[in-house]
Amino acid sequence: MEGCVFNVQKYSVHDGPGIRTIVFFKGCPLRCKWCCNPESQLTYPQIAYNAEKCIGHSCTLCANVCPAKSITVLTQGSAQLNYQTCLQCLSCAGVCPSKAITVYGQYQTPAQLVNQVEEDAIFYARSQGGLTLSGGEPTMQTEFALALLKEAKYRGMTTAMETCGAIPWEQCQEIYSYLDFVYFDIKHLDSQKHQAWTGQSNDIILDTFRKMRAAYPDTPCVVRTPIIPQFNDTEADIMDIRNFVKSFAHTSYEVLRYHRYGTAKYGFIGREYFLGTKDLDEDVFNHLKSISLQ
Amino acid sequence: MACCKVYTPQEEYLKKLQAGNQDNRKGRERIYRIIDRYNGTKPAIDIERGLYFTQSMKQTEGEMLVLRWAKALKHIAENITVYIDDDTLIVGRGGKLGRYGLVYPELDGNIMDITIKDVSERKESSFTISEEDGRIISEEICPYWKDKSFWEDLVKALPEETLRLTYDPKNPVQSRHILDELTTYRSSINWVPDYEKALKRGFKSLKKEAQKKLDALDPFNVNDTMEKKPFLEAMILVCDAIVLWARRHGDKAMELAQLEQDPVRKQELLDIAERCYWVPENPARNFREAVQSQWFVQMFSRLEQKTGAIVSNGRMDQYLYPYYQADKAAGILTDAQAMEILECLWVMMAQFTDLCFSPNGASQQEGWAHWEAVTIGGQTREGNDATNELSYLFLRSKRELPLNYPDLAARIHSRSPQRFLREIALTIKDGAGYPKLFNDEEIVLNLVGQGAPLADALDYSASGCAEVRMPNRDTFTCGHPYLNLVSCVEMALYDGQTFMTGEEQIGLKTGDPCQFAAWEEFWAAYEAQLTNLLKHAFVQEYNIMKLRPLHFACPLNSVLHDLCMDSCIDLHQNNIPDGIDIGFIDVIGYATAADSLAAIKKLVFDDKTLTMAEVIDALRNNFEDREIVRQMMLNAPKFGNNDPYVDTIAQNITRIYLEYAKKHSPELGIHVDPRMVPVTGHVSLGKSTGATPNGRIAGFPLSDGASASHGSDTNGPTAVLLSNVASKLFDYRERGSRLINIKFTPSSIEREEGLQKLIAFIRAWCDLKLWFIQFNVINRETLLAAKAEPENYKNLIVRVAGYSAYFVELSPDLQNDIIERTQQAVI
Repeated sequence: MEGCVFNVQKYSVHDGPGIRTIVFFKGCPLRCKWCCNPESQLTYPQIAYNAEKCIGHSCTLCANVCPAKSITVLTQGSAQLNYQTCLQCLSCAGVCPSKAITVYGQYQTPAQLVNQVEEDAIFYARSQGGLTLSGGEPTMQTEFALALLKEAKYRGMTTAMETCGAIPWEQCQEIYSYLDFVYFDIKHLDSQKHQAWTGQSNDIILDTFRKMRAAYPDTPCVVRTPIIPQFNDTEADIMDIRNFVKSFAHTSYEVLRYHRYGTAKYGFIGREYFLGTKDLDEDVFNHLKSISLQ
Repeated sequence: MACCKVYTPQEEYLKKLQAGNQDNRKGRERIYRIIDRYNGTKPAIDIERGLYFTQSMKQTEGEMLVLRWAKALKHIAENITVYIDDDTLIVGRGGKLGRYGLVYPELDGNIMDITIKDVSERKESSFTISEEDGRIISEEICPYWKDKSFWEDLVKALPEETLRLTYDPKNPVQSRHILDELTTYRSSINWVPDYEKALKRGFKSLKKEAQKKLDALDPFNVNDTMEKKPFLEAMILVCDAIVLWARRHGDKAMELAQLEQDPVRKQELLDIAERCYWVPENPARNFREAVQSQWFVQMFSRLEQKTGAIVSNGRMDQYLYPYYQADKAAGILTDAQAMEILECLWVMMAQFTDLCFSPNGASQQEGWAHWEAVTIGGQTREGNDATNELSYLFLRSKRELPLNYPDLAARIHSRSPQRFLREIALTIKDGAGYPKLFNDEEIVLNLVGQGAPLADALDYSASGCAEVRMPNRDTFTCGHPYLNLVSCVEMALYDGQTFMTGEEQIGLKTGDPCQFAAWEEFWAAYEAQLTNLLKHAFVQEYNIMKLRPLHFACPLNSVLHDLCMDSCIDLHQNNIPDGIDIGFIDVIGYATAADSLAAIKKLVFDDKTLTMAEVIDALRNNFEDREIVRQMMLNAPKFGNNDPYVDTIAQNITRIYLEYAKKHSPELGIHVDPRMVPVTGHVSLGKSTGATPNGRIAGFPLSDGASASHGSDTNGPTAVLLSNVASKLFDYRERGSRLINIKFTPSSIEREEGLQKLIAFIRAWCDLKLWFIQFNVINRETLLAAKAEPENYKNLIVRVAGYSAYFVELSPDLQNDIIERTQQAVI
């Protein structure tokens, strides 16, 4: 069995107890307009190009190797990729000397990944840390996620997962039996608005959430809402979610500040970032944060 | 998701200072008045020590060296100007008011007249000197040392092929930075005098002991009369000398008290006088006397010799604790008073600076660096946890008074209390790089492996950057070579030449690497070049060991050493009975070398994406118009990422020098422990190293200590530690310390949660049995701003290499080096 992951991030200390390693899964059922990991959305490996690392016309290795002639090296010190005609054969990434062209996504076996995660075992032991699944949506690669978690539990690590929840309960429920900690995103309680901004209604998400809380009421869970300007940045939006969350045991709530760190990555994979350049107002965020904590 | 900027307490404090806020001074007015007088000033050269030393040495030729030294110290003690700073409660300085450096002509006095111009004009770490003092150096001090200084004898003694790896034969003041020597600018490596003995017994008792031994000598035994007698006479003299010097401070304080109008200060001066008349002659009776006595010993040992900038403070929370405890119980000392006394000591310490006349010495320790490590925590001689209330007071003082002295060092072991770890983490979070951490779980084991009794091993002190000492057991004071591991890569590539030394055949002829068919052949060439350098390192050390006993003595440190007193042998002599002689070789540029070799293995032999000729061509041209090659090299595997591909190569490098040390140390009669503690040598050695196959351009600093190359450790701080575990070889007793720098962004240790994770990180480091670690917690922007506007960041303290320094006092090269160390942020 192999799964597709696009990053393994050691020494992650902000998401979950202790010192953790986050494994980022490829593939997500949602298409959130603000998504900060756009490279996570497709289920398969894809080409990314970072012009800042490109050494330009002194090097034409990528263009020479491209079977679809999708790359033009410019004299200004960068290259132009035609993502429409790109076959995603990944040959260019193999020859790029400066790693300006890379591949998001690699197929790996659960054993390969867990071995890599286990390298930091001594740090987990001292901090109650361990493995965190993230993505993308880890439950989308259900069998792979299960295999990873089982092996991690067997090797004595704590397990956590960050999920958007948009996978039917029947498909993902077993995964939760191997989790010590859950971060569950609830972005909006208004189904239509949810549909408009993420490409899907929130029906499956709320259903999965309720069933998960009923099935594993003792597993600590943090519900998270990223505050997105014009999507869910009103008092009412946040109060609604907060009140909903409050009715569940062992469930806390936090809001996350909207950021645009992912913008550059849209360019890398030949996409445009829709939300423009507008920042979240600091006062608005702090006000909503105080509401979320009430 | 760390979106907003988090600042360290140090950064907040600097911002406050820039805004004119002086709240931090409340309750520390005295200390800040002292600091304000010297902070930001350029140190001055004080020639008195050098002058009086020379005067006395002229009079005593032909006598036994240790006795000559004691007489010189007596002459210094009688004549040197005695100063008492305004406001201070602790007195004793080796030179004029403000920041100062001393002159040690016995080291390189023969070239002082040449280098003196450089000392006042050099770009970094320069000193001021008056015209008259310059004249005295050139006309009264220097001439005597022509043909007598250690430097001169060493240059004469080294065989030609060793010398040319050490110094440029055409200009022997100029280091080669391939196999540098450190002994010509320090007569001893890092040292810790046994302060506890001085405090508990006093020099009257030590003198009595020497007198008793003297009286018991057999007048018909030629060893007794010719060796032990002058040694013991020297011990008696040096006891008299330090007591005299202290009592002169008492006189000075009395004199000032007479003139003092302010009744409070008048009483302080009278108290100072009382203390100076009592210690260090007699046992300290209270905390204040104990601190004063400690400082007299420390400063007098500075007058005695140049200990490579390093006279450490030893286990201060241990030997001061009985006095602290008793005074607190008696109600005559509060924590605030104890801190004030200690902080008077810190600011006195801060004003002594290490003056290097040789350009070599100056380049190896920038920022007027000197280290007086205060060791806290650890274990008792019985193996129990040693942490006490004083340990916490030192940490508190460090947080509340942002100062670059003392260099605080905490010993960590598996049973260190969580409170101790938490206070350490809090102090690290402050951002000035304190405390640095030593790992008992590795070091005690190592020392026992060297043959130390377990109790002595458990009682070690931090000393220097990342080194340790066992007072009364360590007996080796001899300096050691700095070996450039990267120059061996160059020599393997250029058939025994280096980029900077050009056509000269400086290494072995190991063949044209373009003809090598397999990686193993290239590796064999590297191994041969490194082995050759190790051979010359041992030749260098051999000659240094032969010469030093003829040039240096240290009666003060000898009278404080049990083994020297038992055997009646000066500490600078070789082979003191029952002593453990731990020497070093500093191997510099470890990660740069490992990364360079890994790039060659991968690109030329495994993947075959480059030919050896292309590699050499790119390096010879410093990558100009060869950016593709450089990028391939930059993206080859790098040390510090827990990547076995390169960590195995690093381990193999380690094996070469550990095996060599294991096999050949007995021939020197000492332990030679290769270690990775570059001070600032990785910058100066880097300047003399051409472009390297890891993608590093010519002249750029080498990697520091056992850290990854600049910006190469992209896999997080845990991987840096694991690469070190993977490459260190636990089965060799010869493994010396490895200095690891970790730079964290403030946001990664935010709030109590972040603090707890830092504690866990430190615990795991302890579990991994790594020797040493230090942290910089700072925002990159702050460093960039400090570089651009130094006037606004005069007080910014950063960790350099086993010590912290004011950032603005470092050279631009070293500033860049610190900025470019990978920051372990949190995504």
